[in-house]
Amino acid sequence: MDQTDNQLIDAALAGSVSAWETLVRRHEHRVYNLGLRLLHNPDDALDLVQDVFLGVYRNLYRFRGESQFSTWLFRIVHNKAVDLIRRRQSGPEIENWFEEDAAEPVNDLPGPLDACLETEMNERISQFLSRLPPAQRLIVELKVFQSLTFEEIAPLQDIPVNTAKTRFYTALKNLKSMMEAHA
Amino acid sequence: MSCPNTPEIIADHCDPSSTPEFLQRHKTHLEHCLQCQQELLLLKSVPPGLLRWQPQPVPDWDRSAMVKTASIRKSLPNRARTLPLIAQWLPVAASLVLTVFVFSQARLDVTEQGWSLSFGTSSTLNAQQLNDYLTAYSQSQQEETRAWVQTALKIHGESTADSVYQWMTYMEQQRELDVQRMEAGFEQLLDRDFQTVDSVRQLASYVMYQVAP
Repeated sequence: MDQTDNQLIDAALAGSVSAWETLVRRHEHRVYNLGLRLLHNPDDALDLVQDVFLGVYRNLYRFRGESQFSTWLFRIVHNKAVDLIRRRQSGPEIENWFEEDAAEPVNDLPGPLDACLETEMNERISQFLSRLPPAQRLIVELKVFQSLTFEEIAPLQDIPVNTAKTRFYTALKNLKSMMEAHA
Repeated sequence: MSCPNTPEIIADHCDPSSTPEFLQRHKTHLEHCLQCQQELLLLKSVPPGLLRWQPQPVPDWDRSAMVKTASIRKSLPNRARTLPLIAQWLPVAASLVLTVFVFSQARLDVTEQGWSLSFGTSSTLNAQQLNDYLTAYSQSQQEETRAWVQTALKIHGESTADSVYQWMTYMEQQRELDVQRMEAGFEQLLDRDFQTVDSVRQLASYVMYQVAP
């Protein structure tokens, strides 16, 4: 029978390396794929994974089991991702979107979205997301891919729930414009 | 003109955790607001489009690297509980005892010159003791001076310039001796009860006043 996250954490705190590795393997794919979508680069995504789990390991004693481990984990992931995005600043700012589109069209991927190969699909989604401002990119990631509620997202971004909803709506409109432009 | 409810309606309809009952509250508004209807129709397809993302496997990496390099902390409360009770309270008790000791030895003296804080005995001279000592000192000085003059008159009775010079030299020697005695007196005072600089200054100024012609 699989051990729960809390059991693995207790064992890791007691010095069990295998418990720690099991815990990491259970959650690393979510962090890695989040990194791929947000950072648009496998090396950066792996850097994010390592940064996140180093932070988790160092602060494991703080986890008291009052919330789910994944919720606590994503608080760390969110902070690390914000740091990385700020450092890399790979995507253009939202104000420049349409000028960028006119000057440098990115409609170089073949066919409609659902006909693309797996990697091309991911590439396109990642490209769309990378063209969003960091705050919108994060809210789409947390809402759509991590299925967090707006009540959970708002404190992570230190904004009111209504602001989170407005930001999400704006992000969807921007994404829709991009999808239509590249269809 | 844009509808202020659009962001909330879109966000709630794109939230998988929104129940049909929860979404019912927007039903009336949606029936009458053309803009919200259009926006909902337009944007509802975006999240499913994004969810076509195909999860990628994580490349192999050393998952236990941080176990070897970073130090893991056990929970603080547990570690605190492992200390014996006496070890937890010993620093507090020691601080308390030291504080009581210091304040029990502290002494505040208020005089005409102001106030002073000291530890142990009083920092200021007892006025009566000082007066007694100086009176005794003054009497002994007078007796000694009288004895010097009598001795000088016996030795240099003739009033010549030479004898006056010798008499002055003798007086100078006696004055130096007197200063040495006074220094010894000061040291004695310091060794006894006169512990503060302020008290010594009072004594010094008094003696200077007495010695100066």
